[in-house]
Amino acid sequence: MNAANPLVRAIEADFGYQGRAVVRGASLEVVPGEFVALAGSNGSGKTTLVRGLLGLVPVMAGRVERRPGLRVGYVPQRETLDPLYPLTGFDVTLLGACRDLPFWRVAGAAERGRARAALAATQGESFARSRYATLSGGQRQRVLIARALATEPALLVLDEPTAGVDPQTEAAILEVLVRLARERGLAVWMVTHHLHATTGRVDRLVHVRDGRLAREGAA
Amino acid sequence: MSFLLGRDFLFANAVTGGLLVALVCSLLGIYVILRRMVLLGVALPQAGAAGVAAAFWLTGHVHGPGQGHFGALAGSLLATFGALALLLVAQRRGRSPAEWSIGSLLALASAATVLFVAIDPTGDLELTNLMRGELLAIGDTDLYLLAAATAAALVLFGLFRREILLASFDPEFARTIGREPARADALLFLLLGTAISLGVMTAGPLVVFGFLVLPPLAALRLAPRLGAAFALAAAVAAGASVGGFAVAYHADLPAGPTSVALAGGAWLLAAAFGRLRARRGGLRALLLLALLAGGAGLLGCAAPRRGAEPAPLPDGSLPDLTGRGPVAVAPFRNETGDPLRLPESNPLDELGRAAGDPFAGPGRSVPDALQALAVQELTRRSVSVRSVDEARAIFPRPPADAAGATRRAQEAGLQGPVLLGTLRRFVVTGQGGLLLARLELLLVDPADGSVLWRGEASRPVPVRSALTLQEVLIDAGPALFSQAFDRP
Repeated sequence: MNAANPLVRAIEADFGYQGRAVVRGASLEVVPGEFVALAGSNGSGKTTLVRGLLGLVPVMAGRVERRPGLRVGYVPQRETLDPLYPLTGFDVTLLGACRDLPFWRVAGAAERGRARAALAATQGESFARSRYATLSGGQRQRVLIARALATEPALLVLDEPTAGVDPQTEAAILEVLVRLARERGLAVWMVTHHLHATTGRVDRLVHVRDGRLAREGAA
Repeated sequence: MSFLLGRDFLFANAVTGGLLVALVCSLLGIYVILRRMVLLGVALPQAGAAGVAAAFWLTGHVHGPGQGHFGALAGSLLATFGALALLLVAQRRGRSPAEWSIGSLLALASAATVLFVAIDPTGDLELTNLMRGELLAIGDTDLYLLAAATAAALVLFGLFRREILLASFDPEFARTIGREPARADALLFLLLGTAISLGVMTAGPLVVFGFLVLPPLAALRLAPRLGAAFALAAAVAAGASVGGFAVAYHADLPAGPTSVALAGGAWLLAAAFGRLRARRGGLRALLLLALLAGGAGLLGCAAPRRGAEPAPLPDGSLPDLTGRGPVAVAPFRNETGDPLRLPESNPLDELGRAAGDPFAGPGRSVPDALQALAVQELTRRSVSVRSVDEARAIFPRPPADAAGATRRAQEAGLQGPVLLGTLRRFVVTGQGGLLLARLELLLVDPADGSVLWRGEASRPVPVRSALTLQEVLIDAGPALFSQAFDRP
């Protein structure tokens, strides 16, 4: 870990929507190679907190510092993506691999290779050619993680990646994330309700209660 | 069907224009469906139509190449983009669902269109045509503008395809990788607004909405990938547009709704194929679909044709003119008391050019068109006829009577009979009713001034689907000459 040079640092930051702060006084650091689980009840502000750290939600007070040129791989809640789109698992992953491609260029061998490697890292090659809409919850999650990985991020942020999947799939997804954090030195921040599954796998557990960081500690 | 796109074909501009509208709408329509904004797809064309109606009312309206048309285009653009801006503001500021504001816009735009039509004494026919999806009056200037806009839209759409997909499929992810989805959204709405404005001007709101929705729906039912969906939507749109025009031409139906109906048929077939594929596997479903399509094709082939090569007709009551030389059809006299002027940019231009340019210069009227139709109808009856140009060179003005025609023909050394025509009545009753016409024809031998034949058309002719004078002529012209030539 490199606590002296965090990827993201929040100092007494408030995050919210339409003038209303949902998360208040958040102070924390995101450091490379650390696997952090962010837990809390529904509506406590977990998602707002990670979205605030990524800059998707405005900072209403305090400060958020991001390392210049920080590359973030974001895995949203998979229910937010419309299965109507006729995209395969590979197509979705390729969107991440084209991150640095100018808009007028067609995805080439390099981008395709990066997408394939990302799918391999999440053990998603077997369903890469299937339509995203036809994939199971766990398979979709692997595709979305692969898409985030294909952006070659330093920080991977996942919003409830194991919601609605069976315990075996949940364990398999978590193993993939642990491996990515260990082998690639990725900072992984994961919003979850399933604390029991994270036990022994994450480096740190952050609790959010009523919009405030309630407790931080080793898992 | 290739004759439809030939430059000599009467409605070549209309077919090409309809095809361009169908292509651009169907491609952009993929995102109208995927982003679940179908209601927007009907509300914006209606807003564009209201803008056209307002422009007709404000400018006094002339629907043809020239100022009036550009005024209407400006009206369509302003109304479409104004509606888009209002919706975006409402979406950003309001807390109510987007459907509420879009539904309100649709209701208001529909009401405004009807009201503008009601208070505009001159524009109602043309606007009614537009609302019905008639594609007949597309001038060269309109077509070039439409082609340029379509090309620009397709280039931009192709260049920014990935940005638009990212912004549509997962805008949050787009932002995390440094793309600004609002820009891609703005581009998509700019393209949609432009396509809808031009499409409404060209083909009307019904056609625009139909092609925004039906070909994409058919394509998304079948296509395994997004690229294939775009290709399939374009193919369905092109087929439905050109095929619809062919069916409309043969069956005397309005072209726009016929094209939309064909696109709807394609969607139903695609949906049936999708279900069959899910149940029985791709190959069986494909075979069944081919059978269905083949059956439909056979039915289409069996449909009566009103093709580009009309069949020869019997001479009817006309005398045998063998050996007398070609007939010169003199300009027809207008004794109706009404100038019966035809608006510019009417499709009979092409028909006239094919028959010898009877409409050269300004001031074309129904009698001029009837002169050209007389040449065409005599030709169909295997009568040797001089071109309209030749006849006009001999008779610059309609002869007053048989004696005047004989004198002029003898001065010009004309060999062959002269056909004189006098139009005494030309009135269409009610909305889409009957044509009450009285056309008297006289065939004179210029050698001695004797009358070879007399004919008259005076029975009412139904013109239910005709709303403009040129449509009345297209619908009723052959029937009028049939009465005159064929009645004993």
